[in-house]
Amino acid sequence: MTRLDAGGLRFNVERLDGQGAPGAGGRETVVLVHGIATDNLTSYYFTVAPVFAAAGYDVVMYDQRGHGRTTRPPHGYRIEQFSGDLALLLDELGVAGPVHLVGNSFGGTVALDYALHHPGRVASVLIVESEPPTEAWARKMSGLLAGSAYQLHDERTLPWIEETYGRHEARLVRWSMRLLHGTSIAEDIAASRIPDEAAWRSLAVPVLAVYGANSDLADMAGWLRGLLPHCRTHAVQGHGHSVLVGTPETVGPLLLEWVREGHKQLIGDPVELGESHEEPGERQEELREGRDPAPAGLHAGVPTP
Amino acid sequence: MTSPATVDEEAVLAEIGGALRAVLDDLEFEDVPITRETRFVEDLDLESIDLVSLTSELRARYGDQVDFPAWFASLELSEIIGLTVGQLADYIVGRLR
Repeated sequence: MTRLDAGGLRFNVERLDGQGAPGAGGRETVVLVHGIATDNLTSYYFTVAPVFAAAGYDVVMYDQRGHGRTTRPPHGYRIEQFSGDLALLLDELGVAGPVHLVGNSFGGTVALDYALHHPGRVASVLIVESEPPTEAWARKMSGLLAGSAYQLHDERTLPWIEETYGRHEARLVRWSMRLLHGTSIAEDIAASRIPDEAAWRSLAVPVLAVYGANSDLADMAGWLRGLLPHCRTHAVQGHGHSVLVGTPETVGPLLLEWVREGHKQLIGDPVELGESHEEPGERQEELREGRDPAPAGLHAGVPTP
Repeated sequence: MTSPATVDEEAVLAEIGGALRAVLDDLEFEDVPITRETRFVEDLDLESIDLVSLTSELRARYGDQVDFPAWFASLELSEIIGLTVGQLADYIVGRLR
């Protein structure tokens, strides 16, 4: 357990030391950034974090502001404040070399925002079920957060969630109520600093975007490959928005291969690489009927009873 | 970092109790009696995030012989949520032997 003071907040941070001898280039660090509202660092600690440590990577996980056991300030939830936290934490932890960023859902948006503003400090970005911060994203995310907060005022919601998704999910949602009802997160997200599209088009950092084929976000893959010059996408069949915790045995090796080798292949000719992406394939159409019920963008949404 | 000289279950249970108090110091944790059957989440009302802090604290006490992240990775989420003090103690004792 590490409590780290940075920027006036106390962060809950967990680190795993890479096992075995470091590679020729020295010990590399993987930073894992979790999603919004119901999420915290356990989504990684209980799933893929040990995979990276066993493969020799130092691993950093932290609860983002307002989440888990990190301070929950009443205000201050614009995207640039989340990515600013990441910069402060890496400074405080003394992580010097370029890091591999992994971001799940909203965590991926934070990771991309950080990479755009600190490209020299990032070796690669891997996002799972995520998208960059755009005007459309800010509107959608703010609406989802406000909608979830509204639904949770209905006393029938929590029992319904427990019955439908289980006791653990209901605990996570109950926990998220402190953030949704006690802070200005929905308004703040809407007021986020949104980067110009031109900035994304010149992002020199390699990006892998993983989607659950059943998720609403899976349709973003083609657009994202067109926007980012060094981007590959991958769809995991049979899964939706919760693909990371839903199938860590599939996602773990995918993440590890990217950090080891995959990202290196994307720093070359972007045109050629644009053709080598993995398509979700023909199944995408037929899977559209069986969409994940969780609203895209929330780690585990607060569905309508 | 300190390592117990002998591996006995009583001592491990006492260490778990100490780690619990260290982790939950700033939370409203009532000093309820802890037995092997006590479940961290259901009985002590810990959040799953606190299980991470707890085992991280225990790792600081027992060192590299215990590898909780790898152990958690071998468990289903439902098993982690249902974890009892006895199961955690058994894992630690098993690793120290």
